[in-house]
Amino acid sequence: MELSIFAHYWPMLLKGFGMTVLCWILGTGFGMALGLIIALIQRYSIAPVRWLVQVYVEIIRGTPFLVQLFLLYYGGPMVGIRLDPLPAGIVGLTIYGSPYFAEIFRSAFRAVPTGQIEAARAIGMSEPTIVQRILLPVGLVSALPALVNFSIILTKETVILSIITVPELLYQTQRMSTETFRYLEANLVLALFFWVFVEIISRIGRRFERRITHYLIERP
Amino acid sequence: MFSSKIFLESFEPLMWAARYTLLVSGLGIAVGLVIGALICMASMSKSGFLRGFAAVWVSYLRGVPMLVQLLVVYYLLPVIGIDVPAIVAAVGTTAIVASAYISEIWRGAINALPKGQAEAAVAIGMAPGDVWRRVVLPQAVSLSLPALINELILLVKASSLVSVVGIMEITRASQAQAGSTFRPLEVYLAAACVYLAINLCLAALGRYLEHRMAV
Amino acid sequence: MVQASSVEVRNVDKFYGPFQALKNVSLSIPAGKVTCLIGPSGSGKSTLLRCMNFLEEYDRGEIRIDGKLIGYDAPGRKMSARNLRQMRRSIGMVFQQFNLWPHMTAQENVAEGLVRVRGMSKPEAMARAATELGKVGLADKLGNYPSRLSGGQQQRVAIARAVAMEPKLMLFDEPTSALDPELVGEVLNVMKALAAAGMTMVVVTHEMGFAAHVADQVAFLEKGELVAVDSPAGIFHAPKDERIWNFLRTYNERNSF
Ligand SMILES: Nc1ncnc2c1ncn2[C@@H]1O[C@H](COP(=O)(O)OP(=O)(O)OP(=O)(O)O)[C@@H](O)[C@H]1O
Ligand SMILES: [Mg+2]
Repeated sequence: MELSIFAHYWPMLLKGFGMTVLCWILGTGFGMALGLIIALIQRYSIAPVRWLVQVYVEIIRGTPFLVQLFLLYYGGPMVGIRLDPLPAGIVGLTIYGSPYFAEIFRSAFRAVPTGQIEAARAIGMSEPTIVQRILLPVGLVSALPALVNFSIILTKETVILSIITVPELLYQTQRMSTETFRYLEANLVLALFFWVFVEIISRIGRRFERRITHYLIERP
Repeated sequence: MFSSKIFLESFEPLMWAARYTLLVSGLGIAVGLVIGALICMASMSKSGFLRGFAAVWVSYLRGVPMLVQLLVVYYLLPVIGIDVPAIVAAVGTTAIVASAYISEIWRGAINALPKGQAEAAVAIGMAPGDVWRRVVLPQAVSLSLPALINELILLVKASSLVSVVGIMEITRASQAQAGSTFRPLEVYLAAACVYLAINLCLAALGRYLEHRMAV
Repeated sequence: MVQASSVEVRNVDKFYGPFQALKNVSLSIPAGKVTCLIGPSGSGKSTLLRCMNFLEEYDRGEIRIDGKLIGYDAPGRKMSARNLRQMRRSIGMVFQQFNLWPHMTAQENVAEGLVRVRGMSKPEAMARAATELGKVGLADKLGNYPSRLSGGQQQRVAIARAVAMEPKLMLFDEPTSALDPELVGEVLNVMKALAAAGMTMVVVTHEMGFAAHVADQVAFLEKGELVAVDSPAGIFHAPKDERIWNFLRTYNERNSF
């Protein structure tokens, strides 16, 4: 084992980690937003639009993220979509995550008791207000564990962006190992690092859940 | 312009390459089922050491990206003196990663069985081993079938990553094809179609099994 | 005294697919009076009540609130969502399952409609909510989330939420059926006070005591048909239809031990 390479390469790795976090946060944020839009379309739109959206969902869920990325990054220019690796990666993550987020929102919306929506209708609230004031806040809370869970899955998907040369953590690690021939050490340390990182964000996620759901706790 | 000729011509080599996709994911899940069962038993055993081992196993495999695990295994094997072809590393990694998820699926299925059933079997004097073999396992297996099919779909998609260590499965073959034709759009679209076809078939199988179970 | 609406239900039919839940129902609900709807389970009581604020769309006939048709501009032509909302503003509804919004405190639940529908400022609405909750005896529970209130308290918040909108008509769908017996009284008392203040109330209930003592008229439904409308005395002491008699007998058998 030769770990001294890290003493020399850590600034590069740190930059890679920053890039990983950036891709993750933007990909998750946009993916959630797109997923939410899809879920709302599925709930409120007319049938033909719903079918189209469903086809999109099935296609994205039925194909590997890597192939989606290749299509976007290498195939995109042929139809005029010319993206640098980083934006391509973020757009890719957004698209890849959106149907899973949509499914989470969809079942969370279904779990909102109809009575709570009817109570709002009965006092004359408009549908957009009902979405904003009742459906979203109540639905989001029940969606939270699944949202956190899937966001964590997305952290792991970010390493795939290295294949289209986004300079994130795995990409930088590979660079370091080709320069030093320390392939095993580099990848082992990266694995351990991810393990710890995912464990930490899971814990933060659980704490966040508890804070947001405080009002659901039954009275003693 | 989009060339439907190239698009259609890409299917043949890709479907040929699908053998490896199916081999990696199929063998992966088969071996994963066995290891997963062992991990599941360890996680439910009385021994604290075994439970701890299972917990670490599951947490590591679920916490680390599969691509990174693949690279670790790929570079680790020669270092510890095991000289095997890349395909073995690919299947091995897939199986090990799958085992973590499968053990959780089985644990869930076993926990979902009504407690009274095992108790009823014990009450009529069945030996513990028979209770497992004849009452718990058959039900747990059928209860977990849809989740296992789902896991297989995930593995089919994840197997695209083994292209990185040079296995000529669908993704790697499409990369080669895209390189030689200079038509990545058509070729990768064809690759997406092949994956989609495989996964839609598997999903249909899953729904069929679920449906049959419900009756 | 509150401003109170009258309701006129005329020849209403309601279908769920091929199943007819309301069969040619006609019923006059006078302003300022309490009308109780009783009948066996599945007879269409909730359906009729929910047609009155168009939460359920009726298929034929008409329902008029103060002479104004609800849900349709003309037979077969749906009213705009905006006009429907406008009409619903003056119809309060209370549900069996309370249906409070779980992410808002009692006070916020009551204030929400005032802000979002009536366009009141937040502070004004909160003050108003506090007053309304005081009237139902919950002045000390303003900051409680629904999960930290008893069933009876939740239902009183729900009533305050509806009353705060200053409705001219209140619809109750089995408001006490989900409550433990010892909590029923506190909710019925609030309803009695509303009735005394001159509110028009339509109450679906299995509380025959409430129907007998508070109602001005009682309507009996069975299998989607309105069998009879009469004074409580008429329904409970001199039922003119055998079906009412059977229903009351089963009810009494079940409730005497
Ligand atoms: N959404 C629906 N779809 C199909 N059928 C329905 C629906 N809602 C109600 N029904 C049917 O319409 C009939 C009347 O239902 P309703 O809820 O009005 O009965 P109810 O008199 O309120 O009964 P309960 O005392 O049990 O509340 C029932 O037979 C019910 O099965
Ligand atoms: Mg009812």
